[in-house]
Amino acid sequence: MSSQQVPSSLRDILADILEVSPEQVTPDLSMSTADNWDSFRHLQAILAIEGEYGVQFDPQRIPDLTSVSLLQTELEKKGVAF
Amino acid sequence: MQSDAERQEIRGKIKEAASRQDAESTVRYGRELMETSGKPSDAMFCASAFAGIADAMKEQLGTRRLKAYVVRSVTVEPMVAFLATEAVLSNYFLDIQVGGYGSYIDEMLSPQSALAKFNPDTVFVLLDMEEMAGRLPELCADGIGAGVEEEIDQCVERVAQLLKRFRSGCSARILFQGLVVPDQTSLGDVGEANLPYSLTNAVLTLNRKLATLCRTLSDCVFFDVDRLAARYGRARWRDTRMFLASRLPVSAEVFRIYSHGLVRSFSALYRAPRKVLCTDLDNTLWGGVLGEDGPDGIATGSAFPGNCYLEYQKHLKQLSSRGILLAIVSKNNVADVREAFQLRAADLALNLDNFVASKISWNEKSDAIRELAQELSLGLDSFVFVDDNPVECEAVRRELPEVAVVEAPVQEPWKLVSMLSEQPFFDSAVVTEDDANRLNEYKAQAQRAELASSAGNRDEFLASLGIVCIFQSALQAPLSRAVQLLAKTNQFNLTTRRHSAAEVEEFASAAGGQAVVVRVRDRFGDAGVVGLALARKQGDSCYIDSLLLSCRVIGRGIETALLAHIGEQALRAGAKRLVGEFIATKKNAPCATFYSDHGFSRSALLEETQPGSIFYELDLTVSAPTSPKWITLEGNETHELSTSAVFSA
Repeated sequence: MSSQQVPSSLRDILADILEVSPEQVTPDLSMSTADNWDSFRHLQAILAIEGEYGVQFDPQRIPDLTSVSLLQTELEKKGVAF
Repeated sequence: MQSDAERQEIRGKIKEAASRQDAESTVRYGRELMETSGKPSDAMFCASAFAGIADAMKEQLGTRRLKAYVVRSVTVEPMVAFLATEAVLSNYFLDIQVGGYGSYIDEMLSPQSALAKFNPDTVFVLLDMEEMAGRLPELCADGIGAGVEEEIDQCVERVAQLLKRFRSGCSARILFQGLVVPDQTSLGDVGEANLPYSLTNAVLTLNRKLATLCRTLSDCVFFDVDRLAARYGRARWRDTRMFLASRLPVSAEVFRIYSHGLVRSFSALYRAPRKVLCTDLDNTLWGGVLGEDGPDGIATGSAFPGNCYLEYQKHLKQLSSRGILLAIVSKNNVADVREAFQLRAADLALNLDNFVASKISWNEKSDAIRELAQELSLGLDSFVFVDDNPVECEAVRRELPEVAVVEAPVQEPWKLVSMLSEQPFFDSAVVTEDDANRLNEYKAQAQRAELASSAGNRDEFLASLGIVCIFQSALQAPLSRAVQLLAKTNQFNLTTRRHSAAEVEEFASAAGGQAVVVRVRDRFGDAGVVGLALARKQGDSCYIDSLLLSCRVIGRGIETALLAHIGEQALRAGAKRLVGEFIATKKNAPCATFYSDHGFSRSALLEETQPGSIFYELDLTVSAPTSPKWITLEGNETHELSTSAVFSA
């Protein structure tokens, strides 16, 4: 599955956490492009995504999952089917 | 969990209500979302929706807005949305600011700190073991404890210094969080349980001492987070991965439980507990319907399912012992209810005396609660209503929104006690002796008020009892019973003089003297000798030296009948004036107004001769007391209606 389109469930979580509109959640949105996406929001987003899809990320990978597409790819690797 | 579509639908409703600035609906749907889904993104969603209606909440719901500063040694940021959301669901709007890691001493004590500048209403102090008592795990490792007590005491002393110094410079209310007992240690479960200085024991001791410390400070509550963790399961309370990676003290799955517990604890700093629990009877206090199943058919007692109701009754009795008033609000026949309480007394944990008041009628329950509020002089926001009937519950919610309503689960009666415990209505960090003594005080008040307001119904009820009073000379009844009554009766005892048998005989044998006992029975049975009066005649006055009644039969007009009997005898002996005396004790408040209630007027002249006594007098030639019409009298002449008496007649 391509990363061109963000799955709606992931899009909605990130919109809630980052307090942006769902349309703003594009695959390219990242910690460096979103003003709101600081390290605490990142932790929040990680926890929210884990809770939503019932997965656990390796803590060493967490700091690297800094964009929507990276998060999506990681989830797909964990077998999440969107 | 519900489907994603449902979740999106609730979110849609929240958005829509928030855009209309409809606070009630926004909060209601927010609660629904948190209860059915409650994931981190939902909390975030609710928190931002609520933030947009802060003013509307204040106006429409009276939501209390508080500035809360979080002093911490752990990561709390991901929980802030949950904290804000749970606060709104308890009708607080929190403006939360989080302090730096490990800078709590400076924050709490420096007048230039971020905390001081924020000027909070309330401060949450959330420190973990590492920060508070970092050496404990090591000291407790062998379980025999060199230095454990010292470490605990030093920790408590440090916290005491911190909180006391903070308190002297800042009036913000404090929530101080205790420690969670670690789930796994090197000692293992057996060692933790058996060794005197295991970490488990050390943390429990430390928590207890910290709670004691919090009690000594004003506006400070101890948040026992270990209790929450134990209820949920300590093993799942912490996500070790996230604690080690991000110093997150609790796992994401318990954010909501944690926040709920924290909000519940700090609420005790801002809210007085509710004071009255109104309970329905049928399918609530007992199983079944009294009017259909009869007193023998209702479910209560030691066998299932009766014991579900017994548990509820015991719970109510425990609430009552710390000053929560109990009241019955039931659609029933009064006489049936009396009968049920009498016949099933052995299977019930409560008797009618445990209730401050009863509203048993076929009137609307909201009216009954309103009357109770008036009689007890308490606001409706002090009331909790428990009923199994959804229609009654809804009616009370609609008519009296201030009243907290609990719908008893009629199919699952075992759940009622935990449903009640989950609610914060009766939460209180302090209980005083006054609280514990509240019942009697309010009871007297409610009885007098009810007497005044519904004399009609009461007469009907009393008439239905078929009360018969039999007056006898104390010398004819067993004299020992008269003396026992004099010795034991406290509540309805006007002078509390503990006369001996010889003194009772003196009253009986003196010219114009009276020593009368009253024996009472009604259609439920014979209560035996329950009252006594002693009087002497001096000149044209009859002085009532003692008048008392067992508390079992107060409030049925028997006291009036006894007084009327004495008045009659006094007139017969040639007296024109009846003189009553009242000596107040700690326990006899229920009869303080006895003489004035019966038309007597104060007689100040006599009081000068007998300090401590209040005298009353009544002109018998103008208005002699009369016995209530619902009581059948059997006087001295006929003695008792015993079988032998019937035969001899």
